[in-house]
Amino acid sequence: MKKKKTVNLFKLAKTTTFYIFISGIAIAFLLPVFFIVSLSFLSVREAYQYPLPLLPSLKTKFELTHGEHGYLLSVYDNYEDEYKSVQDTSDLEKLSEYMKYQLATHMTVEEIEQEIAKLDTQDPVYFSQNKNLLSNYQTFLRVAGTGQAIPALLRSLQICALTILISLSIGGMAGYAFARYIFKGRNALKFSVLFVRMFPGVAIALPMVIILANMGFYDQPIGLSLVYSVGSIALTVWITASIFMGIPESLEEAAQVFGATKLQAFLRITLPLAFPGLAAAAMYAFLGAWNETVSAIILTTFNPTFSVIVYQTVLGAVGQVNLAAAGGMVMALPAVIFTFFIRKYINQMWGGVTV
Amino acid sequence: MINSKKLKTLLGKATPYFLILPVVLYYAAFWLRPVIVSVIGGFTDTLGNFTLQNFLMVFNDKAFIPAIRNTAILVIFSVTLEFIVALFLALIINRKFVGSGIFLFLAMIPMALPAAAAGAMWITGLTAHGWINSLLSYLGILAQGDKIYWLAGSEYSLLALLIFIDAWQVIPSVMIILLAGLQNIPEETREAGFVFGGDFLTVLRKITIPMLKSTIQTAVILRLISAIQIWLIVVFLLGFSRMPVLVERIVFYHKEVRGLDISYQMATGYTIIVSVIVSLAALAYLQVSGAFKKDVEETA
Repeated sequence: MKKKKTVNLFKLAKTTTFYIFISGIAIAFLLPVFFIVSLSFLSVREAYQYPLPLLPSLKTKFELTHGEHGYLLSVYDNYEDEYKSVQDTSDLEKLSEYMKYQLATHMTVEEIEQEIAKLDTQDPVYFSQNKNLLSNYQTFLRVAGTGQAIPALLRSLQICALTILISLSIGGMAGYAFARYIFKGRNALKFSVLFVRMFPGVAIALPMVIILANMGFYDQPIGLSLVYSVGSIALTVWITASIFMGIPESLEEAAQVFGATKLQAFLRITLPLAFPGLAAAAMYAFLGAWNETVSAIILTTFNPTFSVIVYQTVLGAVGQVNLAAAGGMVMALPAVIFTFFIRKYINQMWGGVTV
Repeated sequence: MINSKKLKTLLGKATPYFLILPVVLYYAAFWLRPVIVSVIGGFTDTLGNFTLQNFLMVFNDKAFIPAIRNTAILVIFSVTLEFIVALFLALIINRKFVGSGIFLFLAMIPMALPAAAAGAMWITGLTAHGWINSLLSYLGILAQGDKIYWLAGSEYSLLALLIFIDAWQVIPSVMIILLAGLQNIPEETREAGFVFGGDFLTVLRKITIPMLKSTIQTAVILRLISAIQIWLIVVFLLGFSRMPVLVERIVFYHKEVRGLDISYQMATGYTIIVSVIVSLAALAYLQVSGAFKKDVEETA
């Protein structure tokens, strides 16, 4: 009995060490991610502190008293553990503005007046107010790229949708052919497609400036989606080929026995079964178009994509870490979410393309 | 006269080609054509005559040699480092455990980040009052108020920094792939190695790595292809021209010095150089994944 217990203890210790190791790796790699999330919620005032707060405060704590020029407003500082004077004025508008832009805390003039009224009975007055955590995101979307952020966001989504449409329709057909038919040149064609995929996108973008300009598509969403589709069609061909291969042809044949035409059999039987894989291919196309920056910089002038806006903001705003972080977060969020859904396929692609 | 049955088989044979035709046409219009335009642009002067002047200009660009050298250093060191660390981690982790699903997804996040987002992450960290210095000062490694000026270091320390950032982004994913590869190796093969007296290193060298060979090859080449094209993080951290790399030169000449006659030729010259290098890597990839085998072998 005693021996069994020591073995268990040993095993427990081993498992614990293993999990500590695993968590250590995860923490090391996710540390930068933690910080960008945290930074994106800081108020402007917090973002200019050094060292930067590890976590954003959820509430702003104030101390209000009479000052030389009117009212003296102080803000609680977590790191120094004391109230720091920030404003001394009788202009309540100015106080409210300061709270909004520097502290990401919304208080109307009337609300401030209410607190001031309390000064008759107690001095100083302490109060706290919830912080607007999304303040940086709102500022980023309003200000970045001189007001171009939201149009650019919509444009990027439009480009993604067009890319998905083009690559799924064109690539899906070819994928079906590769899965269902054996024909001369099959292997050569399939690998040519893969070669195109690996060819650097930037090498296409540069000559495409002239080609798209002649078509009237330069600086247009459709122009960029034509360029992005080059890479994503290839990927779609490979993904859909492997999906259609996994769906037995005998199912289609059975439907045909019951009187369906070949097209009906495909639409009613194969397509619904292939849906999860097709969705994954669509997400791949989305990621490619959403994440891309080089071609977007080369192929746009007045109508930048969202990634170009983030690029410009981050490049120009080294001092404003909170805004750069918010921009990076808006850029990262869709990418991480879609990656979550297609993680299985990503591993397959990397582990060797054996279809 | 062709009878209907013959027509039907003929049509049946043509079906796959009809289905593939759109891809072929699309690639002719939006891949082959730009490539041809690019090649012609690379070998002609402004009047349309054949010339090698453009490449001479690129070779004489004072940033050309540094760009080649920096790109080569980044590629060689980052890919090597990433593989050694990823293989090491994968060998340690190599077993199924509760919570592996969530761990594997978390490990994927750095790779999933768009370049612009990853750039934002690191620039906010590496500025003098960024989160890295803040963290170091909370941990007591930096004295209060002290700062390390990460981006003011020597050229080699900056290259090391870039390699580190690339490694951060890539190691987790490579680790996942190697892990998947490791788990496909039947346990018995390695056990047999131990039974016949092999120690850990011998088994690793003689059994595990050879069996992982195709996984490693594909992943290394795919990594090479993307490492050759690294530029955004370099520009985010150091701006243009301070640490020239190949793709950075293309964007630099196209966007930053536009309007000059030479800028288009320079950008095109660099584009062709990058394309040739990447194409060679891509061909190596195709070779490894069996593209040049006969049709028969694949379908058999």
